[in-house]
Amino acid sequence: MQDLLSVVTLGSIYLLFALGMSLTWGTIDILNFGHGAIFMFSSFTAYLVLQQTELGLPLIVLLGLVVGALMSLLIQVLAFEQIIKRAKDKRTAEMQILIGGIGVAIIPLAIAQHHTKSNPFGFSSSTFTVDTWTMGDLRITNIAALSIVVALVLWVAAAVWLRRSRQGLALRSIGVDAETAALMGIDRRKMALVTMAVSGGMAGLSGVLFTFGLGAITAESGDTLLVKAFACIILGGVGSMLGVAFGAFFLAAAETVVLTQTSGSWVEAVSFGLIFLVLLFRPSGVFGRADVRRT
Amino acid sequence: MIWNARRGGRRKIAVAAIATGVLLSVAACGGSDAPASGEGLPDEIKLVSVNPTTGVVAFAGASANKGYELAVKEINESDLLGGSKIKLEFKDTKSEPQTAASALTSAITDRDVAAVFGSVSSTEAVAMSPLAQKRGMPIIYTQAGSDGVVVGDYTYRATPLMSSYYPIISRFIKEQGYKSVGVMYTSVTPTLQEIGQKTYPQLAKELGFEITKSIATSATTQDFAAPISQLLASKPDVVATLQVGASNPTVMTQLRQAGYQGKVLGNSGASAGNLKPAGKAGDGMVWPVDFNYQQNAESSQKFVAAYRAEYGEVPLNYAAEAYDAAYFLARSMAAADSTDREAIKDAMKEEAAKTFDGALGKDLKWENGTLQVPGVMVEYTTEGEKLLYEGAGE
Repeated sequence: MQDLLSVVTLGSIYLLFALGMSLTWGTIDILNFGHGAIFMFSSFTAYLVLQQTELGLPLIVLLGLVVGALMSLLIQVLAFEQIIKRAKDKRTAEMQILIGGIGVAIIPLAIAQHHTKSNPFGFSSSTFTVDTWTMGDLRITNIAALSIVVALVLWVAAAVWLRRSRQGLALRSIGVDAETAALMGIDRRKMALVTMAVSGGMAGLSGVLFTFGLGAITAESGDTLLVKAFACIILGGVGSMLGVAFGAFFLAAAETVVLTQTSGSWVEAVSFGLIFLVLLFRPSGVFGRADVRRT
Repeated sequence: MIWNARRGGRRKIAVAAIATGVLLSVAACGGSDAPASGEGLPDEIKLVSVNPTTGVVAFAGASANKGYELAVKEINESDLLGGSKIKLEFKDTKSEPQTAASALTSAITDRDVAAVFGSVSSTEAVAMSPLAQKRGMPIIYTQAGSDGVVVGDYTYRATPLMSSYYPIISRFIKEQGYKSVGVMYTSVTPTLQEIGQKTYPQLAKELGFEITKSIATSATTQDFAAPISQLLASKPDVVATLQVGASNPTVMTQLRQAGYQGKVLGNSGASAGNLKPAGKAGDGMVWPVDFNYQQNAESSQKFVAAYRAEYGEVPLNYAAEAYDAAYFLARSMAAADSTDREAIKDAMKEEAAKTFDGALGKDLKWENGTLQVPGVMVEYTTEGEKLLYEGAGE
């Protein structure tokens, strides 16, 4: 049971991180490879603030959210919008956005690496204390419980918003056919900015919770999660909210089982091998659709 | 030892390919015109430190450069080189093997460069060593503990292999009366893997304790809750964790969250301030290391005082190793009375046959191109590192 709890906790972190990426990729066609840098830098900013003043969990979470959202907006306005304006076609724009995201991510990474000398950083000076709750043989920290709740609530909220709200419908229509959506009066730029802000906020939030949960992260931690989130989205199916959750918990389960039952050196090989096998039979992902691919 | 976290077979092949490519390009450039042997030392001797000061192992590279800088300053102020002055240049590898190989290539083709201080990163060092050996460039590394670094008479490593001094932990295990150990090690790095897979089983055999569980973690493991849960379920008296630097605060935090309050047997990757983010949870980790600023040797304390005066802080092991590496090279150049690379190589061989007192301790000796030291045992507390004992202590 403890292992199952570990899977749920780890899966929640993957979900929280991947949810924002999935949202932008599945709707406004932006595969943001700067997502890992946003995740890290939000946490890094909170760390810097904590060096100057004591803060509790709510304010640190808020700080992570705001920094993440602002960074994401900046990337959208300064980089991705410029790429889209200048690209000769959609496919070129997608490729350039991918490369642009990698390029943009180097800046916050370099700042954090320079400041920390690549040493880990954490929130040990925060007033928030991570406590462990014991229920029989089961142990869970308050921050792990919070991460699970936040991930599930945000996932449900994002799925419901996309399916039920007018704005969600508008966003999905952009994902299906941006030009037709524009002809129907949908403001693509405004929707893209909102989506990027939400996505960045999620990255910032997950960065803060992840740092609290692990005690410390490094400037490079976001890169490791980026690859895993990418795998989660592909496995579940691009644009599918159900798919990204499936991918996150599937990957967490595969990693935990392999790590605890075999040698750790097989974790990536087995986990990603399983994903590859699934994709052989379901190329568009477990919950992805080959024709209309949005949510 | 320093390793890049994302290392694997493909990366090694890539590194080998880079090294081979650069090697071929250097070979095509023709030989350098190094100063001839027997002409005496020039007024200015150019040395290059090819180390990462940005990127994932910047903390070690930057610290090593401070050690080189301090030693060069002292050497230039002394009469060791008969009035010749060392000019030390720094090249940042950005923690990238290809950049390291490229910087070394530039140094090799610069006829004024007498020798190079090689990278602390094993990944970078294995890309550099074949070049240095093939093209006859004397190179001294610190850290870089993997195979393929010391590959011939031009290559030296002024850091002992961890497996050579790690067994001093035996005394601690005996004193604490541990009868069982749970081991968790990273499979990313050959050195830590060796400690987990070979050194601990060997110690268990010698000291008669049981290894209740041995778990390997992967390169991308960031959450250790599941392996820790498995480890503690085997009910060991003490936990041993062998992780790269950045993972140590997480492991300590999650061990405490899982209810484990005892000591933790670690490795020197936890030093250099890496445990600080863990706060009080980091208290109680112990590890053997090749240097600690509190060690007693007179030569070590002389170095510590000079370092404090220069930088206003206590030195890390990376700086101490670099300091000794610089002096080793300076003594060799003085003995060669030349900056001819081959003459330096011959002099280094003779110098390596002698013992010396340095920052790392007293009566230090070289074995197969790698420095040997007895090591010290330290314990982490939030107030700072506490020196437990020096050497085997017996």
